[in-house]
Amino acid sequence: MKFSISREALLRPLTLVAGVVERRQTLPVLSNVLIQVEGDQVSLTGTDLEVELVGRTVASQVDQAGAATVPARKLMDICKSLPDQSDIQLAVEEGRAVLRSGRSRFTLSTLPVAEFPNIEDADGSQEISVPRGTLKHLIEATSFAMAQQDVRYYLNGMLLEIQSNLLRTVATDGHRLAMCSRPIEVSVSQSQKLIVPRKGILELSRLLDDSDEPVSLTLGSSHVRAHTGDFTFTSKLIDGKFPDYERVVPRNGDKVLIAERAALRQVLSRTAILSNEKYRGVRLYLEENNLKVMANNPEQEEAEENIAVEYNGGAMEVGFNVGYLVDVLTVLNEERVQITLADPNSSALLEEPGGGDALYVVMPMRL
Amino acid sequence: MRKIIHCDCDCFYAAVEMRDNPALRDIPIAIGGSVEQRGVVATCNYPAREFGIHSAMPMAQALKRCPHLTVIRGEMAKYKEVARQVFAIYRDVTELIEPLSLDEAFLDVSEVTVHHGSATLMAEAIRERVSREVGITVSAGVAPNKFLAKIASDWNKPDGLCVITPDKVDSFVQQLPVKKIHGVGPRTAEKLAGLDIHTCADLRTRTLTDLVERFGRFGRRLHELSWGRDERPVKTHRERKSVSTEQTYAQDLPNLDACRQELPALIEDLERRYARLDPPLAVRGLIVKVKFSDFTQTTVEHADPAPNLAQFETLLNIGWSRGERPVRLLGVGYRLAENTQEHQLPLF
Repeated sequence: MKFSISREALLRPLTLVAGVVERRQTLPVLSNVLIQVEGDQVSLTGTDLEVELVGRTVASQVDQAGAATVPARKLMDICKSLPDQSDIQLAVEEGRAVLRSGRSRFTLSTLPVAEFPNIEDADGSQEISVPRGTLKHLIEATSFAMAQQDVRYYLNGMLLEIQSNLLRTVATDGHRLAMCSRPIEVSVSQSQKLIVPRKGILELSRLLDDSDEPVSLTLGSSHVRAHTGDFTFTSKLIDGKFPDYERVVPRNGDKVLIAERAALRQVLSRTAILSNEKYRGVRLYLEENNLKVMANNPEQEEAEENIAVEYNGGAMEVGFNVGYLVDVLTVLNEERVQITLADPNSSALLEEPGGGDALYVVMPMRL
Repeated sequence: MRKIIHCDCDCFYAAVEMRDNPALRDIPIAIGGSVEQRGVVATCNYPAREFGIHSAMPMAQALKRCPHLTVIRGEMAKYKEVARQVFAIYRDVTELIEPLSLDEAFLDVSEVTVHHGSATLMAEAIRERVSREVGITVSAGVAPNKFLAKIASDWNKPDGLCVITPDKVDSFVQQLPVKKIHGVGPRTAEKLAGLDIHTCADLRTRTLTDLVERFGRFGRRLHELSWGRDERPVKTHRERKSVSTEQTYAQDLPNLDACRQELPALIEDLERRYARLDPPLAVRGLIVKVKFSDFTQTTVEHADPAPNLAQFETLLNIGWSRGERPVRLLGVGYRLAENTQEHQLPLF
């Protein structure tokens, strides 16, 4: 293998692919990126056995086709630190990878290409095509609510649900839930639900942009694969039953509050400074057209904020983990937010006034 | 080694009344409910105590012992205001205060540096200021832990100070009658006396296992206390463990049916008190208290997170059957879940 390529052409796919590569690996070859050269096509592959990402780019000159695996992070760091617009030549010489650029030369170790694992081919039962911007929005509106290392392993990911003409994402950590739906031009015989692991979701969203260009999704029983022009992303699916989110969305709230989203977010963020660092509880006092937010910590320090809101549902006091509220107010795009409550022990529904494509459910705290 | 001060106002309500009306100073007075309402003595002054009157005694009985007793209804708002002044003085010394009631508190002064760090001088300063600025007297106990500080404050009451320095702890505890231990009531004292245990020195002759076998969890505590050990911290925030209400009836309730009819009103009042709890706590169980016409009393408790009237009735049946005689007082309560402070509720 021997080829030349501009620093810029190599760096973008390399950075994304290296993102999949874990710092700590069980197999040494998993720290490496697989480089394959065919014609003028260069493809880069990184994997952690759960998620695989292939990025494609074009060489400026190919002297010899072939393949090699080299340490992903080191290669990325070297390329990043070379001057802009540098020409890079990469070649395998006597079992080692040699990178030359101008008067620089780096010799990197390699591992046999045959050792590089290949995620089995997606048993593609169905393929759908979605605008990239749509999928990106659905993921970004909900991914913050995914659990992390929860024993309920099926919560450590995101539910993708495909119905006829509808794509929906749902994430929950058992305390709060985020759900977003968008219409798509797809017809399916029956709705499909897959749980994509947390890491897969985070890597997938990095590949997407806000454009209307399509991303095609191949939905398998154990894998999902996404194609965008230059990238192919494959993730194993979590085998488990996602909670019945419909049951969790409250329908009986009669206390409706509307507030300026950004202002409320600031009020909550300030109050949070004096909340208990571990539990992060704040108290919300709903009054006629006013919301009072209070927090105190074990040191008996206290914060109190008041903000004008639209509200006439009767006085009520309810506690929340302030982080859960701030998360929602961060991802909502509207100028105003609508919060619907029933009582201090029932979940709150947050959405844009009148309801948008996303809705958020947050369970209160007992304070 | 910690330094704890236990401050206790001497016959608090009575002291406030005597301050405001010096004519009451040397005659027996009692603050509490009237005989007609079958009230009890909340506080009485020392002249009244000479007649054997003590708090919680029915007012009728107190008047029998001392017919010329002056009974004062008392003004809670006034006492609260006085207590606020007293606590403000405590707070000038330390913020680490655990209030036990309106007129009683533990102060942890281990880290306080004024008076060269001498807890004895701090206690004297507190006593002097309260006397001068508020016009009532405070007794104080100084010791390395709460158990001993509380006993010490009682030692030279009224208007007294008692200091148990670390080197005196052992000798002090050895001669301490077990009756002085908080939690050792007449029954336990009797049981201990039956084992020929009268002082903490006697307690020490028993092994921990022996005490635990005889007294359960309290046995462990007896063992610890007999060596003067008490690690309980001064808690500035007291966790409420129950909420309750009770009613003494102007006329004894003659039978179970009459008792049962009173339950709804009591539960309603309990609900009101429960709703006012701040912070709100989850209910863990229910309690029914019955005091009979002969002043014996019993409590029945049952664990259930969602009590209803039928369950209160069941407990009342059990309680009543233990005495089967007219009932003077009924009480109902909720046992509360501990430490639900800052508890995140689950979605599913």
